[in-house]
Amino acid sequence: MVTHLVFWGLAVVAVLAGVAVFVVNSMARASYSLALSFIAVGLQVLLLQQLYVGVLVILMMVMEMAIMAVYMNMFMGMNPAMMSMNMVHGARHALPVSVGVFLLLAAGALFAPWPSRRGSLPEDVTAALGTELMGPKMLAMAAVGVVMAATIVSGVVLAAHRTRYDRFGDDLRRRPAADPQPGGVGR
Amino acid sequence: MGVSGALARLATRHAHLLVIEVPGHWLTRVAVERQAGVRGWRLAVSPADADILAVCGSPGPELALVVANLWEQLPGPRARIDVAAPELVAAALDQAEATLRDTPRQRRDSAGRDGPGRDEAPGGDAALAHGSEDRDGLEMDVLHVRLGPVLPDWPAGLVLRTHLHGDLIVEAQAGVVDVGQGGLAGGAPVVGGDTSGEARRPDAGELAAQRCDNVARLLALAGWSDAAGLARAIRDHLLIGERSAATTELARLRRRVRRSWLLRWSLRRVGLLPSDELARLGLAPNLTGDVWDRLNGMLDRATIAAGGPAGVAARGPAGVAAGGPTGVAAGVPVTPPAAVASVVSGWDVATARLIVASLDIAALGVVTDG
Amino acid sequence: MAEVPAAVSGGWAPVAAGLLGTLAVAAALLDGALAGRAAGVRSGMGRSAGEVARLLRQRRRTTVAADRLLWRIGGAGLLVMALMIVTVVPLGRWTLFDLDVGVVWVNALDVLAWAFVWLTGWGANSAYALVGGYRFLAHGLAYELPLMFALVAPAVAASSLRVGEVAAAQQGLWFVVWMPVAFVVYCLGVVAIAVWGPFSPALGRDVAGGVTAELSGVDRLLFLAGRYALLAAGAAFAVPMFLGGGAGPLLPAWAWVLVKATVLLAGLVWLRRRVPALRPDVFMEVGWLVLLPAVLLQDLLVAVVVIGG
Repeated sequence: MVTHLVFWGLAVVAVLAGVAVFVVNSMARASYSLALSFIAVGLQVLLLQQLYVGVLVILMMVMEMAIMAVYMNMFMGMNPAMMSMNMVHGARHALPVSVGVFLLLAAGALFAPWPSRRGSLPEDVTAALGTELMGPKMLAMAAVGVVMAATIVSGVVLAAHRTRYDRFGDDLRRRPAADPQPGGVGR
Repeated sequence: MGVSGALARLATRHAHLLVIEVPGHWLTRVAVERQAGVRGWRLAVSPADADILAVCGSPGPELALVVANLWEQLPGPRARIDVAAPELVAAALDQAEATLRDTPRQRRDSAGRDGPGRDEAPGGDAALAHGSEDRDGLEMDVLHVRLGPVLPDWPAGLVLRTHLHGDLIVEAQAGVVDVGQGGLAGGAPVVGGDTSGEARRPDAGELAAQRCDNVARLLALAGWSDAAGLARAIRDHLLIGERSAATTELARLRRRVRRSWLLRWSLRRVGLLPSDELARLGLAPNLTGDVWDRLNGMLDRATIAAGGPAGVAARGPAGVAAGGPTGVAAGVPVTPPAAVASVVSGWDVATARLIVASLDIAALGVVTDG
Repeated sequence: MAEVPAAVSGGWAPVAAGLLGTLAVAAALLDGALAGRAAGVRSGMGRSAGEVARLLRQRRRTTVAADRLLWRIGGAGLLVMALMIVTVVPLGRWTLFDLDVGVVWVNALDVLAWAFVWLTGWGANSAYALVGGYRFLAHGLAYELPLMFALVAPAVAASSLRVGEVAAAQQGLWFVVWMPVAFVVYCLGVVAIAVWGPFSPALGRDVAGGVTAELSGVDRLLFLAGRYALLAAGAAFAVPMFLGGGAGPLLPAWAWVLVKATVLLAGLVWLRRRVPALRPDVFMEVGWLVLLPAVLLQDLLVAVVVIGG
C-alpha cells in the first residue's frame, strides 16, 4: 500500500517537474526541473525492483542535466540576472501536439492489456533484463559502446581548431610545443 | 542575553578581517595582519566572509568609494576601523572587538539597513556586452571585470580592467587608484615606506620583509597556506628586528619551497619573461624566467637583504628603474602598471594572479598611456 | 567474519547521521588544530566552534538578481549528498540500506557534486563565484572518469556491487594492498568532491573565495559543513571498498570501521597542509593522460586476476 502511494506520488512529481521545464524562465531552472523529473522516474524504477537500472537512470540523468545546464549557460551567456527566457517555442502548434502525444502515451500505458506475471522473480533481475533485451548480441552491444566512445573522441580531435602542426611546427620538431597555456604533463 | 552573549563572545574571538591597504601604508597593513593573527582572528577573502573592515591609511576619493561599497556588502555584525599608523593598530582592533560584541548596537545597525541584505556582487554583476572569437576560434561573450583594488594578496591600489573570455584575460588596462591625490607625491604610490609623501630610504630589514610579504602572497595564491604562513612569520620577525630567527626560518622556507616538486610543477612554464621583454616593459631585469624562477629570485633577494648567506650566484637586490617618479624612496624599484596589464594578457585569471604576484611589486608607477 | 551485513530499520538513520556528524566535527577540529599550529596560535581547537558561532550570528545575504532558489539548493546539497552516501556504508554487522548496487549508488551521488557546487557558484550572479563554479567543473572533467573506474576495481574483484559483499571479499588481503592505484585515485576523487586541499582552486583566494565568495551566515555554514561531511563520508566508504571493512583483531567490527575511517579522514585533512593547489588547467592533462590509463590498467589487472584465479 505504502509502495503504491510512493509510486504514484513520484509519478505526480515526475510529471509536474516535467511541466515545470516549460514554465520556468531560465535554462538552469529548466535543466534542473528535468533532472528532478528524471530522479523521480529513477526512484520509480527502483520501486519496480530494477535497482541497477533505477540507480543508473539517476546517475546518468543528473550528470547529463548538469552538463546541459553548464553548456546552455555558456553558449547563451545566461546569468541569473537575465532570467526571463521563454522555454516554449512555437507554442500555438507545439502545445496541442505535445499534450496530445502525452495523453495518447498515457492512455496506452493505462489501458494496454498488460500480461500478468508467470513464474517467479529471477535471481538477478538486471542480468535477466539484459539477456531478455539483447540475447546473444550482448558482446556486439558491449563492443558498440566502446566504438561510440572512440567515435566521440575522434570527432572532437578532428573538429579541434588547433592541430599538431600548430603545436609542433610544420616539421613537428618544435619543443616545447607552442601552447597558449602549458598543460600538466609537459607534452 | 546569556546564550546570545556567549555566542557573541565566542564569535568575536574568531572574527574575520578584510584588510584594505591604501598605497603607501604597507607597514600598517602588516601590523594589522600580525596583531589580528595573535588574537586568533583570520583574514577574510571577500566582504561576505568579513566581520571587520580595516582600512589602513586614509583613502583618496576613489578608494573611499570602493570602501563604502564594500562596507555595504559586509553581512553584519560588522565593524569598521580606520588605522592611520602601525602604533594605532592595537587600539583600533580593541575598538572593533567592542563594536562586534555590542549586540544591541549590531541589532540597530542591521535594522537600519534596507531589506534582507541585498548587496552588489564585488566583481560587478556578470553583465555581458558583446561577443568575439576566443583563442580556440569559438564565438565567446566578453565579460568586463575589474580586478582590484581590493582582492586578497593583490598589490595595493592596483586596478586591472579586464576583458574576459570565460576566465581568460584577453585584454587588460591597468590603473592605480587615486593617482595624483594628496599624500602621494608625484603620483607614485609608495609601497616601500609608511610615510605620507616623505621619501625615506627603507632599511635592509624592511626590504627583506617586503620580499617575504610578496613571497607569502604568491604562496597563498598557489594554494599552499602553510608555507605562506611561514613567509608571513618571517616577515614579522624581520620587522621587529629578530634577524637571526628570521634568517633561520628563511633558510627553512627556501628548503621547503625548493623541495616541493608539486609547487615547481604548478609554477613552471607560466608567465615566461625573457630579458628583452622585461626591458621593453620597463620591469626590473632580475625578473627573467617563469613564475617559479621569480619565486626563488624573491627568496634569494630576501635572504641577501636579511644579511644571510646567499645560496645561489648572488643576484643583487632589485634593480632601480631609471627615471622613477619622485616621491619613491631610493632603492625601491617601480613597476609600471602598463607592464602588469601586458604580462597578464592571454592567461586565465588564476595564472594571471600568480604572474602578478611573482613580479615582486614594491611600488607602482604612474600610468603613462591612455 | 565473512558474514554479509544485514539491513537495520530506518529508525537508526539518525544514529548514522550522528556518526557522520561526529566524524565531520572531528575533521573540522583537526583542521583547526593543524591550522592553529601552523599559524602559531594557541586556540587552534576552538577555531571550529568559534567559526560556527560566528556564522550562526551572521546575517544571511543575497546579491543583486541572484537565483536564490538554485543558489541555496546548491549550498545545502553537499550535506545531503554526504548523508545519502553513508546509508550504504556497513558499520560492522549493520547497514542502513542494503542495496545490491550500492557501489553505483555512491557513484550516482558523487556526480551530484557537479550540480551543487556549480549551482552555488552560478546562482550568486557574481563574476568571482561563477569563475569558481567553472573551475570545479574543470576539475570534475579530470577526476570524474578516473574515480568511476577506480570504483570498478573492488566491484570486479568481489564480483558484486553490494558494498557489504565487497567488504566481505577482502578476507585474506585488503584491496588497498593489491589495487593501490585505484585506492589513490579514489582518495583524490573524495578530496575533489569535497573541494578540499589540492582541489580547492574553486574556492581560491585569487577569486575572493570563488564559489563561496558571496556566501554568509548559515548558508556558508551549510556549505562548509557539507565539505567536511563529504570528506568524512568518502573516508567511511573507503573502508568497505579498500580497507577490509570491519576486519581486524580484538575490537568488534563496527569499531574497526570507525577507526579506519577516522585514520583515513585524518590523513585527508592533513594533506591540505602539505601540498599546494592542483590548478585545473594543468591537472586536466594529468587526469586524462596519467590517472585514467593507470586506473584502466589497474582494472584490467584485477579482471585478469579474478578470471585467472
